Order: sequence, then C-alpha cells, then structure tokens
Amino acid sequence: MKKKKDVTIDRCAYWFIAPYYMFFLLFVLLPIVVNITLSFTDFNLKTISFVGLKNYFVLAHDGLFWKSVLNTLIYVIFTVFMTLVLGFVLALALNSAALWGTRFFRGFIYLPYVTSMVSMSMVWLWLYDPTNGVFNVMLETLGLEARQWLYDEKLALGAMIVMGVWKGIGYYMTLYIAGLNNIPSYLYEAASIDGAGCLQKVFSITIPMLRPVTFFIVITGVINAFNVFEQVNVMTGGGPMNATTTIVHQIYTRAFTEYRMGYGAAEAVFLLLIILVFTLLNFRYGNQGQDLDIG
Amino acid sequence: MRIKKSTRIVLFVFMLLFCVIIIIPFLIMVSTSLKTPAEISSAAFRLWPERWQFSNYVEAMRSSDWGRFFWNSFYTTVLSVVISLVINSLAGYAFARMTFKGKDFLFLLALVGMMIPQQVTMLPNFVAMKYFPLMGGNNILGQGGTGLVNTYAGMVAPYIAGAFGVFLFRQFFMNFPKSLDDAAKIDGLSRMGAFVRIYLPLSKSIFATLIVFKTTSTWNEYTWPLIITTRKNMWTVQLALSVFKEEFITQWNYLMAATTLIMLPLLVMYVFMQKYFVEGIVTTGIKG
Repeated sequence: MKKKKDVTIDRCAYWFIAPYYMFFLLFVLLPIVVNITLSFTDFNLKTISFVGLKNYFVLAHDGLFWKSVLNTLIYVIFTVFMTLVLGFVLALALNSAALWGTRFFRGFIYLPYVTSMVSMSMVWLWLYDPTNGVFNVMLETLGLEARQWLYDEKLALGAMIVMGVWKGIGYYMTLYIAGLNNIPSYLYEAASIDGAGCLQKVFSITIPMLRPVTFFIVITGVINAFNVFEQVNVMTGGGPMNATTTIVHQIYTRAFTEYRMGYGAAEAVFLLLIILVFTLLNFRYGNQGQDLDIG
Repeated sequence: MRIKKSTRIVLFVFMLLFCVIIIIPFLIMVSTSLKTPAEISSAAFRLWPERWQFSNYVEAMRSSDWGRFFWNSFYTTVLSVVISLVINSLAGYAFARMTFKGKDFLFLLALVGMMIPQQVTMLPNFVAMKYFPLMGGNNILGQGGTGLVNTYAGMVAPYIAGAFGVFLFRQFFMNFPKSLDDAAKIDGLSRMGAFVRIYLPLSKSIFATLIVFKTTSTWNEYTWPLIITTRKNMWTVQLALSVFKEEFITQWNYLMAATTLIMLPLLVMYVFMQKYFVEGIVTTGIKG
C-alpha cells in the first residue's frame, strides 16, 4: 500500500541536530578553514601578516620535514601491513571451532588497544631500556650483544613499529572476526563437497569475501598511522638524529614549541590532503564497515 | 566439521604463546612497579619480585599533585561523556527518523568530519581557544587574555565535536520499526516526547557502548591536553605521566607504579564491560 505524498517535513529536526552541529561547525569545520587561512600567513601568536605561498615554498625545501614524511610513510606501511596479516591470522584461529577459550584469548589480545598510548609508551621505554630492559636482558642471556634500541638511529623507528603493531593487533583482529562471522557457512560446505582443502578455502573463499573489511581496515589504519605522534613525543622526542620524527611531530614542534603557527598550519594542510585522499577513496569504494556485525 | 584432537592442541598452544607475548609487557609493568631499585638494576631478570614493595605506589603518588591530575581526568571525562550522549543521541535520532531539507548533505558532512583527525584541527583549535571572545580576560575581539586555554571548557569542547556518536546512534535508531513512530503519533506524543518516552528506554545498550567508547578516548587523550594546558593544575593523568617520566627516568619502579595506577580505572571497566568495548569499534571502527 503506497501512501500519497504526505511525507511530513519535520521542522523540529533542526533543533535536534543544532546542538551537535554547533560543536561540529566550531571545532571541526571552521578550524579547517582557519588552518588553511593561517597557512598563508606568518602568524606567531603575536603578529600576523599575509605572506602568500611563502610557507609552502619553504616547506618544499625543508629537509627535516621531508625526513618526517619518509619516516611516517615507513611507519604507515610496515605497521599497517604487519598488523593486518597478524590480525587476520589470529582472527582465523579464534574463529575456528577448534579452539577452546576463544573469549578469553580475544579479551587479552584486545587489551593493549584499550590502554592509553602514553602509558604503553612508558612500559615500552622500560622494555627497550639499554641497561636493564627486558629485550637486552634476553639478548645477553642468549649470548648476544645488547642494543641501544631507541637510542640507535637504525633501530629506533623499527622499535616504534613493533610497539605499534603490538598495540593495534587486537583492533584489527576484532574487525576481522566480525567480518568472518558474516561469511555464509554454505560457501565452505559447498567447497568441502568439491573437495577443497583448508588452505584452499582460505584463499578462494575467506580472503575474497573479506575484501570489504580489509579495504576498510587499510583505509582507517593508514589514516590513523599517518597521525602517529604520541609515542614519538613521549618516547624519543623525534630522536635520535630525527630518526623517528613524524609529520604530526613536526607540526607540533613548529607550532607549539617554536610558535611558528603559519608554518605549522602549512604542514597541517599537507597532512590534511593526504587524509582527504584516503577519505575519498573510502567514500568512493568502501561502505563504512556497515556490513559488519558482531556475534 | 570434525576436527582432529592434535589440531586443537597445536592451535591452543599457539594461541597461548601468542597471548603471553601480548600480555608480557603488562606483567613486567606490574612486577617492576613492586620491585626495589636494587632488584631492578640487578643483572638477573625475575618476573616475580623478591620483596613486594607496595610503598612504591605511595611514593609515586606523593611525588606530585596526583589527586588533582586524577580529578582533572575524571572531570573532563564525565563532561565529555555526558554532553556527547545528550547531543549525539538527539542528532542521531533526527538523522535516523526525521525528514528534513538538506538531511543527506548534513549527514555526509558529519561523516567526512568523522574522518578528519584531531591532529589536523589541533592547531586552529588552539588558536580559536586562545582568542575565544569574552573568555579568560579576552575582550570581544579575543584580545588581551588567555581565552579558554587552561579551562575545562577548552579541554572538553573538541571531544564533543566528534561525529562518531551521531553515527552510532543513527545506525541504532534506524533499526527500530517505523510503526513505532505512527503509534507515538496516535498517542499524541510530539517528536521529543517519542524520543524520550519510547526511544531512550530501548537504547540502554547503545548508551553503554558510547559511554565506554567516550570514556576510553577521553581518559587516554594526550595530545590535546598537552596543547591546551600550560598550567600544572590543569594537567590530566596522561600528561602528568609524560612529565613524570622526565623527572624519574631512572626510577622505573615509581614510573611503572604511576603507569599502572592511571591504567587501572579503564582496566576495571574493561573487565566488566568487555562486550561494549568491542561493539563500538566494530560498528564504525573509527576513533572520534
């Protein structure tokens, strides 16, 4: 039964969304406009004048900034890839009927994701401690040479990545478990009848069926990883020799320790553009994870 | 599907080992927090402390005004949770259940906003807070004072702007049967009346999810408090811990004791409400 066109317009709807939209406009949308405007100035919290594209020209030749972009890229690629693979394998193991105590395991693996980055940075600082940290104690027990970890230019970023993977694994795993629950079981039954082995099922059913979840995880994972800052600021301060400085760490340093707001804003615009590309990809090809459901 | 017993055992041992690797940093944290400095610097590594030094916790908390830091974290978390719940549920309800001009566009805008990370808006937000008109000694043009820097309002406002809650509530309310609205209309309830009398009582689980999500993200927040507070008496526990590190870099037992304590409230919450922690993440999987 189709009603005639009596779709009532709820005028009061605007009152329902107004409180939220006020905050949203003031603290999300307006700031983006302000940020772009500031990037064309030399604002330093005291004086302000329009400098055109100068910040962007300086930025293009700022070796330290490009070093931070490179570091961030390395961090993004390795963290997202390793967490993705491990999260997927764990989800498979935990989702199979063959395991006892899955709830218990899930609870523990998800734990690092719940705790704050600052507190976990403290713990990992201690694990990586050159004199008494557990990593070096282990190496020495095995008769190997102790390392400087976070004080070693070559190892510091890697050490950050290991911690990043450790912290994010439960999150990826949880999303994958949700995705696995949505794969209809008759697909596997049909494959069994056709004589497919375990591994074959994973590659020809599970992985293709999980493509939307994987897409979603990669996009959001990449966006989150591009914003890596807290552990850098707490653990290394960007050192040693800028080996762990990241884009957001550069923005923070320029804007909030040197008060070069205009320049920091230009760096933030650069970050915004990267994020925007991935956001658009998500809207174009993704479905916001709406097909996920937890069991 | 029949599974061999040997497969089960191999899988179980594998998962157990993996869990141990995940959990070991936490165990080391607690164990270190109970050790004496002498035991920490001794060459032999032992997970089980020789003598349980509970006084480390007292000493760590005495080192600074931690009561104040805990209060700041607690207060900002409560503010952020309560205000978000109210305004997000209202907006989510409107987006799920009402027809109005520009609805699709406004919702899309909020979705895009959800993807914009705080790291991009922190700089202009700080500027906006500092020059907020008529606050903190500022005149109408935002000059002269400190604005909302070092105030709870300034600390909380950007958290409330996150679109995650709106999205969560909208998803939830959309699953309600349409006939509910018709019934409410027949009963003479206004939109607001229907929302309060019918929708809210049926939404306990979604509220729990958002409470858990918002509590975790606000309690764990570090970057924004780092920027918006310059006075020590406004520090949150996360910020205080990061500064504590500079002062006590060699005294790992105190540092780990403080770390354990600031983690404790969330840990307790996690133990009792694990289901809700996972729920919010799975629904959209985005920090906000």
